[in-house]
Amino acid sequence: MDQKYIITQLVTLAIVAGIMGLVAWAKIPRATPALDEAEVKHRLAEDFPQAPLDQIWLAIDGAGAIARSGDEALLLFRLGDSYVSRSLAWSHALQADLIKGRYWFKFNDFAAPKASLALAPDWAQAVTGETI
Amino acid sequence: MAAPSAPAIDPVTLAVPFFILAIVLEIILARFGKVKAVYEAKDTATSLLMGFGSGIAGLLTGGVVFAASVWVYKYHLFDIPMSAAWAWLAIFLLEDLTYYWFHRLSHERRFWWAAHVNHHTSQHYNLATALRQTWTGGTAGTWALWLPLSLLGFPPAMIAIQKGISLVYQFWIHTEAVRRMPVWFEALFNTPSHHRVHHARNPRYLDSNYAGILIIWDRMFGTFVAELDEEPCRYGVVKNLGDFNIVRVAFHEWVGIFSDLLTARSLREAFFYLFGAPGWSPDGSRQTSTMLKAQWADMQTAEPVKTDPAAAS
Repeated sequence: MDQKYIITQLVTLAIVAGIMGLVAWAKIPRATPALDEAEVKHRLAEDFPQAPLDQIWLAIDGAGAIARSGDEALLLFRLGDSYVSRSLAWSHALQADLIKGRYWFKFNDFAAPKASLALAPDWAQAVTGETI
Repeated sequence: MAAPSAPAIDPVTLAVPFFILAIVLEIILARFGKVKAVYEAKDTATSLLMGFGSGIAGLLTGGVVFAASVWVYKYHLFDIPMSAAWAWLAIFLLEDLTYYWFHRLSHERRFWWAAHVNHHTSQHYNLATALRQTWTGGTAGTWALWLPLSLLGFPPAMIAIQKGISLVYQFWIHTEAVRRMPVWFEALFNTPSHHRVHHARNPRYLDSNYAGILIIWDRMFGTFVAELDEEPCRYGVVKNLGDFNIVRVAFHEWVGIFSDLLTARSLREAFFYLFGAPGWSPDGSRQTSTMLKAQWADMQTAEPVKTDPAAAS
């Protein structure tokens, strides 16, 4: 590898860092107010238009939610200033690990292997009250 | 006649300062509320690092691609001079037509979608998104689509320059800062409005507007969809990625293909996992764009069009 190429790459990385600094200074992401039930329904309807929602559990930090739709659990979780959704079997959702106040859901999907939600105690009741 | 095989100029290299300046301007103008642009730090970092990695990946395969072009050119059918204006007009049109079909293939067949999908993984649409380029395009082999131009007699350097011009043109259309261009321009050229539709995941907008420079190809081949003010574009892919890991961005669809091939129960299934439409599955449990659009169309007949207040804000 010649020196000119290495210098070019280092300069490119420095420019990337500079733009990152500019983005941090500009503070121009989308607004991410805490999700409410209406917003969760709206967003899940976009990604799962034919799934009726039986019940919704909002994350206490407003950054996501889980909904039951028959035998399926529909998850919505924040990524940066955007949201990602996934579905998994309801029985699997009930087996989410609780680590430091957050429930960790695992998907069989390399594109989104896992997600965590800070769910309120009523979710825990749903978990313990369910028979799988 | 002898024609230069190596391009004397590289439009992309020449345009790099313009790319940087344009991104900086878009951010600053958005910061002061002069234009519409949304930048999220990690998303922007992902886009820029994908662009950086793409340059390195391109270096690894670029030599093979150019050597193939030169080899095919040895058997060229016509002598096309680089100095003739008509030749540049011809390469402009033919390269752009080739780009349309390359791009359409890259969306409608999973093997090539795996190489292209990373460009669509951002849920944002800004000039940095334009730099979220492929790491695996060279190995996916779509560059072979340009070889017939060499066989026709266009010098490899001429093709490389025109491909560079096309790439540079497509940079500026990755923005929400420009709402609409003049009507005549929108009719003829690919624009920010047309390309926003291309990056949208709304079912109405899926698999449309594949153009490079001229939008006329989409109009001719039936893939043109106009942007509707009442339905703002929601950017990203049908199933958005769960994090900003650039390795995941670059390779997730390849991993998906590999996983599916391991479960294939016949050669037919293996073939469709590789070359079927993205979202194809043997039992129809996943959804292709065609299925999503049909589902959406069915729902439209049952209820009026819903707008997206969240995306519009």
